[in-house]
Amino acid sequence: MSSAEDTRGSSNIGQEQRKHQREEFRTAVRALLMTPLMTPAHDEFPSVRRQADVLRAWFSREAGWPLHIEQEGARLYKRPAELSATTRGLPDYDRRRYVLLCLACAALERSESQITLRLLGERLLQLAAEPVLTSLGFAFTLGTQHERRELVAVCRTLLEIGVLQRVVGDEEAFVQTRGEQADALYDVQRRTLAGLLAAVRGPSTWRPEDAPETLEERLSALVDEHVADSDEGRRTALRHQLARRLLDDPVIYVETLDAEARAYFVNQRGAMSARLCEASALTAEHRAEGLALVDETCLLTDVAMPAEGTDAHATLLVAEYLAGALKRPDALDAGANPHRIEFSEHEIIAFLRDAKIRYGRYWRKSAREAGAERELADIAIERLEKLQLVVRGSEGIRPLPAIARFGLGEAEIRDPPDARRASIAEGIGPA
Amino acid sequence: MRSVSESADLFRHVSADKSEFYRRIMDVFAAAKRQYRLQLRPDEVLAEAEWSGAPPRIEEVNVALTQLTVWGNLESHPDTARVSSLSDFYRARFLYRLSQGGEAVEAALTLFVQTLQRRAELQTVALEDIANRLRALQTLAGEREPDVAKVHETLRDLVRVFEGLAENAQAFMAGVARSIELQQAESSAVSTYKRQLIDYLERFIGDLVRRSDTIAGHILALDPRIDVLLQQVAAREARDAAPGNETDRVEAQTSHWNAWRERWKGLHGWFFRSGHEPSQAELLRARARSAIPQLLGAIAALNERRSGRSDRSADFRILANWFVACQNDGEAHRLARAAFALNPARHFALNMDADADLPASTRWADAPPLKIHPRLREYGEATPRGPMARIRDRAEARARLARELAEEFLQVEAARRRLATGHSIRLSDLGELDGHAFGLFLGLLGEALTEQTHPEAAVSRQTGDGLLHIDLTPLAAETRAEISTPHGIFSGRDHLITITPTQDLR
Repeated sequence: MSSAEDTRGSSNIGQEQRKHQREEFRTAVRALLMTPLMTPAHDEFPSVRRQADVLRAWFSREAGWPLHIEQEGARLYKRPAELSATTRGLPDYDRRRYVLLCLACAALERSESQITLRLLGERLLQLAAEPVLTSLGFAFTLGTQHERRELVAVCRTLLEIGVLQRVVGDEEAFVQTRGEQADALYDVQRRTLAGLLAAVRGPSTWRPEDAPETLEERLSALVDEHVADSDEGRRTALRHQLARRLLDDPVIYVETLDAEARAYFVNQRGAMSARLCEASALTAEHRAEGLALVDETCLLTDVAMPAEGTDAHATLLVAEYLAGALKRPDALDAGANPHRIEFSEHEIIAFLRDAKIRYGRYWRKSAREAGAERELADIAIERLEKLQLVVRGSEGIRPLPAIARFGLGEAEIRDPPDARRASIAEGIGPA
Repeated sequence: MRSVSESADLFRHVSADKSEFYRRIMDVFAAAKRQYRLQLRPDEVLAEAEWSGAPPRIEEVNVALTQLTVWGNLESHPDTARVSSLSDFYRARFLYRLSQGGEAVEAALTLFVQTLQRRAELQTVALEDIANRLRALQTLAGEREPDVAKVHETLRDLVRVFEGLAENAQAFMAGVARSIELQQAESSAVSTYKRQLIDYLERFIGDLVRRSDTIAGHILALDPRIDVLLQQVAAREARDAAPGNETDRVEAQTSHWNAWRERWKGLHGWFFRSGHEPSQAELLRARARSAIPQLLGAIAALNERRSGRSDRSADFRILANWFVACQNDGEAHRLARAAFALNPARHFALNMDADADLPASTRWADAPPLKIHPRLREYGEATPRGPMARIRDRAEARARLARELAEEFLQVEAARRRLATGHSIRLSDLGELDGHAFGLFLGLLGEALTEQTHPEAAVSRQTGDGLLHIDLTPLAAETRAEISTPHGIFSGRDHLITITPTQDLR
């Protein structure tokens, strides 16, 4: 074999390795964006471990997010840049359930390395009886099936996150009965538990007189980071804020940015989105009103759009309906400011009532019943709101610019492959 | 003497409603006892007690004193001192002092508190003392006429030191097992304690190993003479006991002697194994050694617990308060995102051909919309619904294949029977071969010829599959063999060939 072949072979291998590294890095970035608190049981955990150094450097450089990777798991502290989003909490959680989650974690912090559901419930009761909580009207007794179900729901969250691991037992039995056998035994994964709280500063470290009082103060107390007092430091902070939103949120509208951020964004959006897209395998959609990083695989999201199923279909139809209004020529003409267009909930319900006649037979049975369009409309609006495609205001529902991408385009008619081949053969190409 | 149930009254003030109040009063009496003052007046009690808040009225003190007298903690006597006012004279006046039972209760409570507060510790000095006393004892025992008083003193000392050691060791073992002290400790305290404990255990284990042998040696050396010594000591002690007749004295002496022998046995058991039981010293050593990993475990748990800069449990409790204070679920979600940051990324999906060449100033409304699969657009399903594709039945094809295989096997078998006769035959005599037989023949020939080192050499080998044995001997160079086959005529130098099935050779 000649030496020339040798070098070519090895450079191929080198290239292949680099390509593999790059792909593994991308997979790891995407996995961490979806599962910021990752246990070793996660499919991509080995990739994350292998790419640990590069990942740590990348997240810290691009978004200022600390990333901890250990044998027992990985934690990306995805501190949010934007604190007003009301749709990014834990799924199916309400205020009360968050309180229970916190109390459960407080109990687990003090527990031994194993705990049972029953014992956790008892500790939780003690914590729930604290005067501050009761004075604010919080009461939890575990007396009813409903309350036991709440505890179990919190437990399931902890199981899902990986804070608890079930050794034996069954939560459903605990909900149904109060017998001795109706219990479950868990291992407490302390590392995961320690990674649960992402606050920059622990809420208990405030002295009583300095403690934040209002919600806004509390929010900033949780996420405010030190910013170096220099031009460079402020620029970096600005860049991190934008990158955090681009990586985490569906879209950034320019009009939501303050003057300083807007200036930076307009100048840097090309280079910035290119860097982020390269590492996360997303595609940048640059538009006049803003920037969205979109995902081809539909996997980098908790609310997919478009997607399959009745709810998603209804959402898509509503999106088209709203987008259609934005695209109407008169809307554009009248529209030095097309954002003025607003819809009432009734209009959307009425639209869905009509849509049901045409599409209802493909929908699930419960959605076809009389009056179901009200619920469907609610779901659709909520999904669109989550994706920052509409805003629910006091006057009604206002579609946001990016909803236009879901508008119905002109039907594109392609020649079927056979016909095209035939036409080429005859020499009458589509000239 | 009071019975147990009666003496229970003595403890009632500890659990009574105003136990705090009662305890402060009793503390005054205990202090007075330490100062050798026999009795106190109510106003003295009022003045001397350390009240937590404002001092109570004298009437309250009087009521409490009467109650304590009823329970038996105090004894009262009419106060006969002169008074200077009528009201004082008509008021029932008493002096109070601790009763015998009350005194016992005070002593018991003091001991109780001390025991609860005692830190588990191991004494290294004790070992040294024990060794010294034993050496002294040995010297004394070696004398012709042992000084009983000195022996007695040494033994008493030994017992005292040893009891201290044993008690501390017990507390230590229990303490380590519970590791209570570490559970609630502050982190700075823990790190100090950790350093101290490890230093301490190291020193103690070292000492224990070094001194155990010496001590054991002393005990062994004393063993033959100790009985005599103990007897003398017991006799000396019996002399101190209350006078009585001769039998009483002998009895007392025996009981003292037995007590001493028991103590000696205990000491013995500490440093020597009895039967299969390891000695106490060994147990203690093992326990002390295991204390270090236990301590490290406890510290690890503490570290995990506070693996932030703050106490995580307190953090979560405060956070719970913040959540309760939220006005609605939306606010709770905002707080949750800031606190936990567990939310997955959220992006629009599906844009197969992003219009990269579109200028960035295009409005969304003017940009071409997303291309959505018509099926998804129409039905809300990307994949068609309908019956599953039928599973094809391949039984017939499989049967055909089996038939073909069987037939081929038969033909190969026939070919093998034709060639593998076990008899020598010239190639030129083989005559005509059919396709299968020729294939087999070529295979065998190929295998045999690869073995051949030289055109003139004879070959003998087993085929690769181990089924046949083949011998091939070349004939004269000018000979020639021809075999006709369906594919044509095979020709070459003639050979003598013998093909034998391997099984026939055995």
